[in-house]
Amino acid sequence: MSSQPNCEKCPVHHKDNLVRLGINMEKMDYVVALAGNPNTGKSTVFNNLTGLRQHTGNWPGKTVGRAEGAFSYDDKRYKIVDLPGTYSLLSTSTDEEVARNFILFGRPDVTVIVADATRLERNLNLVLQILEITNRAILCLNLMDEAKRNHVEIDVRALSRELGIPVVPTSARKREGMSELVKMISEVASGQYVCKPHRTRNHSPQLKRAITKLSKKLLDTYPGLPNADWVALRLLEGDQSIIEALHNGSLGELVENETQIEV
Amino acid sequence: MMEQKNKQVNEEILGMANNLKWELGMDTHDSIVSSLYADAAQIARKTVSMDGDRPSFSMERKIDKVVTSRMLGFPIMFVLLALVFWITISGANYPSGLLASLLVDTLHPLLKNAADSVMPWWLSGVFVDGAYLAMAWVIAVMLPPMAIFFPLFTLLEDLGYLPRVAFNMDSLFRKAGAHGKQALTMSMGFGCNAAGVIAARVIDSPRERLIAIITNNFSLCNGRWPTQILIATIFIGGMVTPFWAGIVSTGAVVGVAVLGIVFSLIVSWGLSKSVLKGEASTFSLELPPYRPPRILQTLYTSLIDRTLFVLWRAVVFAIPAGIVIWLVSNITIGDLSLAEHFIDWSNPFAVVFGLNGVILLAYIIAIPANEIVIPTILMLTVLVTGMAGVGEGSGVMFELDSISSTEGILREGGWTLLTGINLMLFSLLHNPCSTTIYTIYKETKSAKWTAVATFLPIVLGFVVCFFTAQLWYLFF
Amino acid sequence: MEHPILALGLGLLVIVVLAWAFWPKKGLFARMGKVRNSSRRVLLEDTLKYLFDCEYKGNTCDLNSVAGNLNISADQMARLLAHLRDMGLVVFQEQNIRLTDTGKSYALRIVRVHRIWERFLADETGVEQMDWHGEADIREHQLSMEDANRIAARIGNPAFDPHGDPIPTKDGKIPPFSGKTLNSLKEGEVAQIVHIEDEPHYIFEQLSAQGLYPGMQVYLLDVQEGKVTFAADGNECVLTPLFASAITVQPLPKAKPIQEGYQTLSDLEVDETATVVGISSYCRGLQRRRLMDFGIVPGNTITAEIQSASGDPVGYRILGTTIAIRKNQADLIFINNIKKEHHEQSA
Repeated sequence: MSSQPNCEKCPVHHKDNLVRLGINMEKMDYVVALAGNPNTGKSTVFNNLTGLRQHTGNWPGKTVGRAEGAFSYDDKRYKIVDLPGTYSLLSTSTDEEVARNFILFGRPDVTVIVADATRLERNLNLVLQILEITNRAILCLNLMDEAKRNHVEIDVRALSRELGIPVVPTSARKREGMSELVKMISEVASGQYVCKPHRTRNHSPQLKRAITKLSKKLLDTYPGLPNADWVALRLLEGDQSIIEALHNGSLGELVENETQIEV
Repeated sequence: MMEQKNKQVNEEILGMANNLKWELGMDTHDSIVSSLYADAAQIARKTVSMDGDRPSFSMERKIDKVVTSRMLGFPIMFVLLALVFWITISGANYPSGLLASLLVDTLHPLLKNAADSVMPWWLSGVFVDGAYLAMAWVIAVMLPPMAIFFPLFTLLEDLGYLPRVAFNMDSLFRKAGAHGKQALTMSMGFGCNAAGVIAARVIDSPRERLIAIITNNFSLCNGRWPTQILIATIFIGGMVTPFWAGIVSTGAVVGVAVLGIVFSLIVSWGLSKSVLKGEASTFSLELPPYRPPRILQTLYTSLIDRTLFVLWRAVVFAIPAGIVIWLVSNITIGDLSLAEHFIDWSNPFAVVFGLNGVILLAYIIAIPANEIVIPTILMLTVLVTGMAGVGEGSGVMFELDSISSTEGILREGGWTLLTGINLMLFSLLHNPCSTTIYTIYKETKSAKWTAVATFLPIVLGFVVCFFTAQLWYLFF
Repeated sequence: MEHPILALGLGLLVIVVLAWAFWPKKGLFARMGKVRNSSRRVLLEDTLKYLFDCEYKGNTCDLNSVAGNLNISADQMARLLAHLRDMGLVVFQEQNIRLTDTGKSYALRIVRVHRIWERFLADETGVEQMDWHGEADIREHQLSMEDANRIAARIGNPAFDPHGDPIPTKDGKIPPFSGKTLNSLKEGEVAQIVHIEDEPHYIFEQLSAQGLYPGMQVYLLDVQEGKVTFAADGNECVLTPLFASAITVQPLPKAKPIQEGYQTLSDLEVDETATVVGISSYCRGLQRRRLMDFGIVPGNTITAEIQSASGDPVGYRILGTTIAIRKNQADLIFINNIKKEHHEQSA
């Protein structure tokens, strides 16, 4: 097990699962996942953080496959994994499955969600979905320069309050806001900043009843499961990787990890 | 015991989930997405404010109204694309010549002399005349145009103009069962088919993406333009008076390129109606905002990601081909080399298609790069006809500065106007080069679609050449 | 060559022969594939499937109805049924034929494979709606249960097929039959279409052609002898009772009827704004997901912004992004509240 008990500030990532997902975790302290809609400058943020160069075209869905990099901050080594750019995490497409399973089973210490400030509303769809899965996320509000040019104003503090996670405005193309982002990553990773993510309450009454019923049953079996509502929702959607996790016990492992921290 | 119990509980959970799914009915997924958007809208209302009623995207809208207008949309597009091609062709001429004279005319004899003094003749033949020369040729012909074409294209892409091209062209491609973005992969294919195949990544619908990949080879690539121009100048331009020669031969080359576009649309249509009928199909095209391009970064990344990447693959494939070319013309069985045996054997068959054995062999051994087809043809023709005083010796590819002496060699090899026309057709319609085949496999991860993309054009090429030749024989 | 005419003729002949052999659906190979499919096992399995369907819906069935459904003679059917009885799959009770437990679970397996394959075709492929049922009828006899389960897992273990029928689980569970037929509704009742019977095929074809599919809201206007009049998502339809009985509905006692037919996105002119009401259930799978990802969900505002140089597609602005939508997609997106957009007057 990667984390010791009684340790608030220890990494929470699930090392065994990460290795299984093909991530080399040698000499790494924390894992950061980078998620976001296509065409939000996610690759530019990745390049800025890691100093790598990846071509980023003005096209949706340019990054194919998964890129990895690393950076250091305050004597800690951070592994950063660039997830495929997707609009949603709910469907059975490969890209969405990769991103979804990485966040759920890999349990990154921080998930940085890159959003386009000029189209925040559309991007929030993905943000809210990620917040259903993980407690540790940062919203990187990118393309702030463009938003300013188009006279879009965003109340960053109110947004942070609504979402329950830190929000860092950036203009990655001009390298603005990157140091704030890195600092925030370290604060969330080390547990200094505790997120209280927004969870959606807007489901139809019928669906709400179904989720409550199923998640209660899940919690009876796996007490302390961190995101039982999400798991219940995914079961209602027939997500095969959750069904498999149920069968092979990895869902149970998620619980053990969590209870150790909470003791 | 514990495990047994867990298993039972898990089954209970899954059973419960199933019953709930049936109770909830069919719209679960839709209702989940709707409620998420409802939350998103609530949050956005509280936190986002726009100056005035809406963001002033007015500048962008004005540009869009012009580049997508009925009157100006297509002319602007053709002018821009023509400009890109013109800059590429005229800009690449000089550096290409320079590279060729450096790598082929100057460096090759030097290397050859040096190698001859330290190794046996056949070893220096394999390495210097075979491997080195093939590589030098590919670099000289390929590098300059690609180093100009790709950055220009990437600039248009970064600017946000290319999605508008796809937007304007979509209705034509929709009728062929394809995606508007195929206009872009096709244009990219005029630079290099391997790059065009990679560019098909931007098409996110499985069926349309496969169509774009399979038909990309019908875009006459940079490696085939010189062949077309040379043959058209010799055989088609040669038919008319010198005054008209330039116009007529240019017309012939453009005609072949347009024929390629027509084939690509027809084949797209055929594929979408037959073998690809069952593949999932969707249409989505986002029109991103215009962004000021970052010129330096664009240059850097398009050079690294596209130009050098493709060039590297081409060089890797060209080296073994150079070795094979040298070996087949130097290994002899009886009195004749392997190449001559093959040419004699395949000639009767080739004549049915209006080609000859030399062309067939050249296309087989020069599969890695279309750039070395003409040098190989010249070398083989000299080898077969036994002409004295031209060329560099068996297995050494060469080109001549003067078009008339090239013509002399080809006429000596028995070439006619029909051979010229059919070579132009065959150069358009034959299997993709091995770099492209490999790239197709990498992109589709399917041996089946790679095989279709490889064999479909060559079968088509033989069919077209066959009917052209037979009709020719009928009338002349 | 010396005989170009001969060569040309031969060349044409080769092309014709190849086309005849490989032509999809009507070619030699396609026909050979079809012949292989009417073996005895296929007939036995189809019989079981039909018997299960009768029992599930609470109908009784006898020799003649089964024979009629499978389109074979009563004699041949009697022999098939005797064989099934010997295998322990059916029992005879006077005139009625009933499935044994083994027979029922056999039938459920075939039904599962059939419905999974239909759902797979509908969601993950470009196969036309008309061909789903026919292709699944062939596949259900070829596909192993393991393969079907694997496909189900990949497409998110669906609970319903595209016609609205529940898919039995791996261990053969299926919810009890519920819902009523459209012609059993009373005037003024509102309901949702949950299922459209895919057999006989000509009825299904007719109903699809009228644009009726599961998920639509129906509001019964008038029931008379020989004629059922109702509004489907606000548009008036008239069907004979025979056709209406092929539609299963779930009453929605609290729902308000949709008064007016919705307009579709393709009705929106450039510079007009409207509110999205929904996406037709005809639009499925990848395409539907993509549209929803872009923000085409009920309640969002959409503006037609630019028309491409050739008129189709049109660029629409939704949630701050401009996306191009083809006319045939825009036909499937329902909107209301069309308004003229006021913009750029201040700018």
